[in-house]
Amino acid sequence: MNPEARLQFGKGIKLRRDLDGSTMLLVPEGALMLNRPAAAALELVDGERTLGEIVAAVVERFEVAPEQAREDLNALFDRLAERGFIR
Amino acid sequence: MTPRPLSLLCELTYRCNLQCPYCYNPLALREYGDELSTHDWIRVLEQAAGLGVVQAHFSGGEPTLRRDLAELIGAASRLGLYTNLITQGTFLADELLERLLDAGLDHIQISIQAPEAALADRIAGTQVHEKKVDALLRVRDREVALTLNCVLHRLNHDAIADVIAFADSLGIRRLELANVQFYGWAYRNRGALMPTLQQVRHGEKIVEAARERLRGKMEIVYVLPDYFEEYPKPCMNGWGSQFITVGPNGRVLPCPAAGAISTLQFENVRDRELGEIWRDSHSFQAYRGTSWMSDPCRTCERREIDWGGCRCQAFLLTGDAGATDPACSLSPAHALIVTHREGEETEFVARRP
Repeated sequence: MNPEARLQFGKGIKLRRDLDGSTMLLVPEGALMLNRPAAAALELVDGERTLGEIVAAVVERFEVAPEQAREDLNALFDRLAERGFIR
Repeated sequence: MTPRPLSLLCELTYRCNLQCPYCYNPLALREYGDELSTHDWIRVLEQAAGLGVVQAHFSGGEPTLRRDLAELIGAASRLGLYTNLITQGTFLADELLERLLDAGLDHIQISIQAPEAALADRIAGTQVHEKKVDALLRVRDREVALTLNCVLHRLNHDAIADVIAFADSLGIRRLELANVQFYGWAYRNRGALMPTLQQVRHGEKIVEAARERLRGKMEIVYVLPDYFEEYPKPCMNGWGSQFITVGPNGRVLPCPAAGAISTLQFENVRDRELGEIWRDSHSFQAYRGTSWMSDPCRTCERREIDWGGCRCQAFLLTGDAGATDPACSLSPAHALIVTHREGEETEFVARRP
């Protein structure tokens, strides 16, 4: 996926935050439980920010091994885009 | 600890203008005329949201026959639930579609019976295919997720590649190809609907190739034909684990087909709060978890993968809802499945009230 691409959710895809702090992505006939970096990344999807900006923001915020985090997040967005959850 | 339910299936009505022989609704459709009121359904949705449910599915029968559908979707949406409409699409005029989308509908699943009108209308028992195609095209262009569903059985299995091509030509993003599961009318018509082994194996190859070819363009969900598998389906991801079904008359079921299990008493949202039924009722506790299992499930390493398969199928075939699903090759009653892999050359009985 192009790091310059501005990301938005696909049709009928919704992020849901629960009171207990857990976050899931609601999709047609299913729900994906998200870990904290994935949730943080998807919360930044707004149709304006690019993939590169989102990944950079999350990597900075979680102070994790940057290379690994970048790789994980790019893989996540690739999977979501393949299923039409991100466009 | 009682698990958190995630999904509520609202079977708003069993009325339908189609007569599909593969319908999983019960045979005694007339017994379900005493439908819940709008007020009852809204209370059910509120109670479900309070339990932690995140998705509400509106199905039937044909849910668009309920005049309060948009109101119920609006209520679910305001409660923060993801809303899904499962429809055959013949009543989805622009005016209704507009109201449903305004109410916050997130996803629509529209079913077809076959990729062309002659066969589709024969299966549906009435001329509906062109109307469905019209509805599909109008929904596709709106800001709502869309799944095209086709139930596969002996009469249309050979057309599986054509169903995929049909979906692709319409620009469908998500296609569900669901091999018929044998409950209700489908169980009644098992002999006429059972696919052949050749159809099943051919179908797998077609789907596999199409998934590869259409990767990133169309997602294909393939529901396996459990009569031909080695292990059973993990029905409902375990009884009373994630799913609640409420029938048209308010009866609360762990699985849409569970009403057939005559050895269990199912409670009603007219009499008791949904959360109490979920947590405390005998019907929901009966097969929750693994402690109810007998051999071979009890000691099987797949017991928390398959959850014993389907309780309803175990009951239909063996008379014991606590038995291993006979679809499992390890079941002592597996012969009840194997002997029915060969369908009979019979005509199906159309669904009727």
